[in-house]
Order: sequence, then C-alpha cells, then structure tokens
Amino acid sequence: MSRGTALLAGGCVLAVLLLAWGLAEQDPVTESGASPSGSARAATSGAATGAQAAVAAGVPGTGPGAPYSAEGAQSRQAQLTLWQGRYERAEQIYSSYRDATRYPHESRPISEHPDQVRPFAPVQEETPMRKANGEPAKGVRLRTSQERVFVTGAETVRFTVQAVDAGGKVLPLVVTRASAQSVAETTVLSPIIQSAVNFRDDGSGADTQSGDGIYSAQLQPAQQGFAAFAGTIRMLAQVSAGGEQGVAHFDVVYTPAVPATWAGTRDALEAGSLNFYLKANVLQAGRYVVSARVDDANGTPFALLQFNDEVAAGQREFKLTLFGALVRDKNPAFPLRLRDVEGFLLLADKFPDRAMMARQVGDVHRSARYAVDSFSPNEWSSEERERYLAEYGKDAQTALEQVNRLQGR
Amino acid sequence: MQAGFRTGSVGQKRGLWWVAAFILAGLAGAVSATNYSLWINGRNGNGTPGNHADFTYWGPSGTAAGVNKKSVNWDGFNRISNQNYRIRDALDCYCTGTNWCYIAAHSAGNLQIGYAMSLYGGTARYKKTPTANAAGTCSNSDGTTQTGWNIKWVDVAAGAGGGSELANLGSWAVSDPLTSDLKTATARAMYDHNQTRAKWFYMYAGSNGAAQSGLMPGQDDQAVAYHSAGGVSGSGGAAYCNPSDWFCNDLTLGTAANEGGKAKWSYHNVKFRDDNESLNHYTNGNWGGVVSKVRADMAANAN
Repeated sequence: MSRGTALLAGGCVLAVLLLAWGLAEQDPVTESGASPSGSARAATSGAATGAQAAVAAGVPGTGPGAPYSAEGAQSRQAQLTLWQGRYERAEQIYSSYRDATRYPHESRPISEHPDQVRPFAPVQEETPMRKANGEPAKGVRLRTSQERVFVTGAETVRFTVQAVDAGGKVLPLVVTRASAQSVAETTVLSPIIQSAVNFRDDGSGADTQSGDGIYSAQLQPAQQGFAAFAGTIRMLAQVSAGGEQGVAHFDVVYTPAVPATWAGTRDALEAGSLNFYLKANVLQAGRYVVSARVDDANGTPFALLQFNDEVAAGQREFKLTLFGALVRDKNPAFPLRLRDVEGFLLLADKFPDRAMMARQVGDVHRSARYAVDSFSPNEWSSEERERYLAEYGKDAQTALEQVNRLQGR
Repeated sequence: MQAGFRTGSVGQKRGLWWVAAFILAGLAGAVSATNYSLWINGRNGNGTPGNHADFTYWGPSGTAAGVNKKSVNWDGFNRISNQNYRIRDALDCYCTGTNWCYIAAHSAGNLQIGYAMSLYGGTARYKKTPTANAAGTCSNSDGTTQTGWNIKWVDVAAGAGGGSELANLGSWAVSDPLTSDLKTATARAMYDHNQTRAKWFYMYAGSNGAAQSGLMPGQDDQAVAYHSAGGVSGSGGAAYCNPSDWFCNDLTLGTAANEGGKAKWSYHNVKFRDDNESLNHYTNGNWGGVVSKVRADMAANAN
C-alpha cells in the first residue's frame, strides 16, 4: 500500500469512527434523517402519496419563519413552485426506474417495444407525390414499401409503389424509369455505380399480383454491380399518376461482407432464468447486437431479448436471457417460441455502421416446457441499478426536503 | 446506550464531530460529485467539434441553460454513426464516476443521443476526470469502468429521431451525408428507439411550420413533423396535429398513445406541444424556436 493510500484509508477509518460516535449522540430529531437511498425509498413507496399530497398543500409564508414581505412571499412561492415541480419529476423518475428495472434492460416485455414486435415487416410510408421541382402534386399520394433498410451480402430488397388519391382510391400509375445508384459520401472519392431496376405490375418476379396498381421491384446489390460497394444505394423511380410526374425515393444501406452465420439454437434454464443460446460461426470479431422475440405457446408476443457484447471469431454462442421474474410476472404458456432473430456487427465510428447477419424469419426455436415456479421471482440486481436508484432517490429526497423547508415544515 | 457515554463533555464531542465532518468533506472533495448539462446540436452544427465551451450553435454562451453547461459539438454534416464518438466522448467525460448529466438535444442531436444510449448505453465506460482537451476527450480517472453513463434525463427540442420528410424529398442539400440518415425510414431503422435503459426523453414539439406545411404530414416546425418531434413509434409519414385540428389525429401530451392509437416510443414523454403554432425549428443564434422551451426547462431543472 502506498503512503497516500494508507493515509486515505486511515482518514476514512478515523472519520467513520468519529461520525459513528457523533451520530450516536444526536438528538432524536436529527436521528430521524435517513440515508439518501433509504429515505428515497420511503419517499417513493407507500409514503409517497402522502408526501406528494403534503407537497401540494403547502402555503409559503405561513410557516414558522413567517411573516414575509409581499415580495418575499412571492419569491418564496416561486421557489416552492419550482421545487414542487422538481420533486414531482424526480419522484416519477425514481419510481419508474425502480419499476422498469425489475428486469434487466436486455430482457423486456415486448409491449415496451411496440415497433419491434414485427421487425421484418416492410417499411411502409405514404407521402404526397413530389414533382421534379419538389412541389407536391395536388391530389396524388404515393404509398411505398421497402423490405429492409440494411442489406448485406447476397440479400435482396423488394420495393413497391402505388398511387392513391386524397381519399385513398387507387390511381393508375406508370413507372417510366427506375434505377439504383451508389451515393458517394462527400469525404470519399469513388465512382458512381448505377443499375437499372424494373418495376412491374404483371404478377411476375417481385410482383405478387398482376394489375392491382402496386408496382414491385427487387434489388440484389451483389448481383447488380454493388458487390464491392459499402454505403447507401438510392433507388429513384420516375412515376406518372393523375396527370402528374413524380419520383419515388428509397434508400438502402449495403455492406458486402457477412460477418457471421447462424448455426442453431438451444435453451437452458439456468439460475432461475431461461437462456437461449444462438450459435454462430463468427467470421469477424467485434461488438454484435442481436435481438429476438419470444411468443408464448399461443403465439402471443411476450418478450424482447437483446444482446450487445464483444464476440471473438470462431464458433460462438450469443446468450439471450429471458429473465426469471418476467416469466413469473407474465406467466406465459409453454413451450415458448423464439422468433424473428436479427443481428449485426456494430462498426464503431464508421459508415456503414453495421454488417448484417442473415435474418432468421419466423420461429427459430421452441423451448422445453418449464414450470413457472422453476423461475426465480427475484428482481434484477446490478451495480448499474443500485447506482441509479441511489442518485434518483437522492434527487427526490433533496427536492422533498426543499419543499418541506419552503413550507415551513 | 450507556448513560455515562451521554454525559461526556458535549463541547469536546462537538469539536470531534466537526473534525470528522471536515475529514469526510476533504475525502469527498477527492471524489466530488458534479452535475453537468450537455447540449447536443443538430444539423449544420457551426460550433467547433470537441470544444465544449463553444455555444455558437445555440446562442450567447452566458445564457442560463442548466448547471455546468457543456456544448457537445459535432459537425452536423456527416453520418450519425461516424460522428457519434463526439457524443460518447462527452458522456464519458462528464457522466461517469461520481458525476451526472442532464442532456439537451436539438433536431438530429436526438438521433445522436438515442443512438449512443441504445447501442452503447450498456457498454463498459472508463470513468473520466471531467476536464476535456481540445479534441473533447478526457483522461481516465482511476482506470476502472462502469456500465453505461450517469444520465438523469434527456430534453429533446424538435427531435429528428424519427427523421424528416424534407430528407425524403431531397429538399435539403443532397451533398450532406447526414441528410441520408434523416430519411424517415433510415432514421427509424437505425436503432431501437425504445431502448433508453429506462431514462426519460422529454419531447418538445414546435408547429410554426406554415412554410413547409405542404411537404410534411400533420403539424411541423419547418423541419420535422410531429411524428418525429413527438417520438411516435412505427413508420414515418403519419400525420399528427394540435387538438384544434379536427381533421388530423392529436399528438397527445405525456406518454399516452396518440389519437388513433399509435404509441410513442417507450420512455418518451411529450412535455410541450405547440398549440399556438408559435415556435419553429431554428435557434436563430439566440436559443430560439422550440429550443427556447428546452432551455427554460434546463435552466430551471438541470441543477
């Protein structure tokens, strides 16, 4: 131990001993003050409602310190209003964090992630059709969809476009020309790659139904000249509808190399939680971000599981944990179904910032049947959680004390 | 407690009490806790990247905008992903160890903080001494790490987390890589916007958008529409308005689902909706537009 460390440790011991003595000698009023985290718990548990009511009821200038001048009372009222607002916010933050972190951040009720329930649904948008000069074409709207935004390796992307009027009635549409081209990042000099794309409404190729007014096209970057390109590929379709000319505009972000491939899934009940192990052959080491959905036996979406960690190259397993308390609280019907797995290698400080693994669409794994009481009811515990609860609790307690002070309590 | 212990010299004990308090205060000073207010700019950032004292983007630097305010300047031009290190560096500097942060973000700064928290918010971060060099980085304090950053809450003015139709339409200069990130489909697919690790995003949405009203769905502030500024989940393009508009679904205040049933992203709370259609997107070099509302909140509550 260095001399500095020894002095620091000695100082701590001395101070704690002196404080312990001092605290033991305090009068009862002083002794009633609890530690920040402890008092926050009191403030935010059953006592919180009463405390909030007391906070709201206070009238400044009437406490033991009164009377105040009119100006002083006004200032005090402003201070009270400020601290009441701070207390309300701090209390809400503390209790919502406490309740939310009953489960870890990577194992959540899927209701908290409303747009992650069906991650592979096409991105659908409806916008006014734009003319070449950027002005909206009156009375014509374009409904578009694209199968995905991030594309890797030999993956394909399907696009659709349809014209409708303001009331949603389908309008005849003609796609006069469409092409995909690379978008140069201004910091990188590179040749522009361009490839013609064929939108059709004849029920062939990417089009599912002939003559329904929905024109469809498919882009496969690796086969259309983009195999060595990494970046944005912009698809522009020149369209004509309702007597107006316009443009449909789609972007995808492409990376040519697939960083890892999937190799099966297993599950195991461990330490009161259900772990799904997604096996993978990792070709490129780095930080992987993986998510998967869990449905109950009836097909009801139930949980979102996420993984975000460094992974070495080789045969690896991504562990996605379905937290025990979440199972206990929601009581899903077993066996559970793991579905719609997506994953990518996160490339820090780069664009593109990710290389996608192949999507695993639909059911990927069916769990064994487990009795619900074989799962742990314990809430999540971690240094992160304790750190936050202590700080948020301290904020709530400080604000409450200020409110009480300003109310003369 | 023994009676004899209580009858000791009060003066002597009171003196020792203050000695103890003094020692502890000294020790606490070595690991003092400080709160900071971090401001994250949007597109066309004209502050000096890495200079945390440069508030050019926002307005006069003497204006109250939260305790110990720092300007997390990034270039507002390049991609979110290749500029995000600026935000992570600042979070490492001021929001680790015993220090805590309030965050304020404007426009594309919404994507920056959301991206950092969703994709890096659970990673191991070195605790830093909060003194930044010219590059906006700080040295390690004790060599230890912690999970994520210490963030109390996030205020977002005119958030572009859901993208902007102006980017879809190419209405902004296409030489700007950031514009590609601001396309609604791209912005919404960039990361899981619900994953804030239970930290609150307070959304402030302006609607003085007459000049762009034909270009964007529902109410807008001339650059982003309510679907983004209000943190509405799902695809872009949906129209949300003030309650006075009978022909358009309301953007609701708070966390409740919007009229029509579409949910907000989790831990997103609409604190301000511009029912008077008086605030636009732009700071005008003087903490203006919707930013004025966030500045007021930061000045009052980031303490």
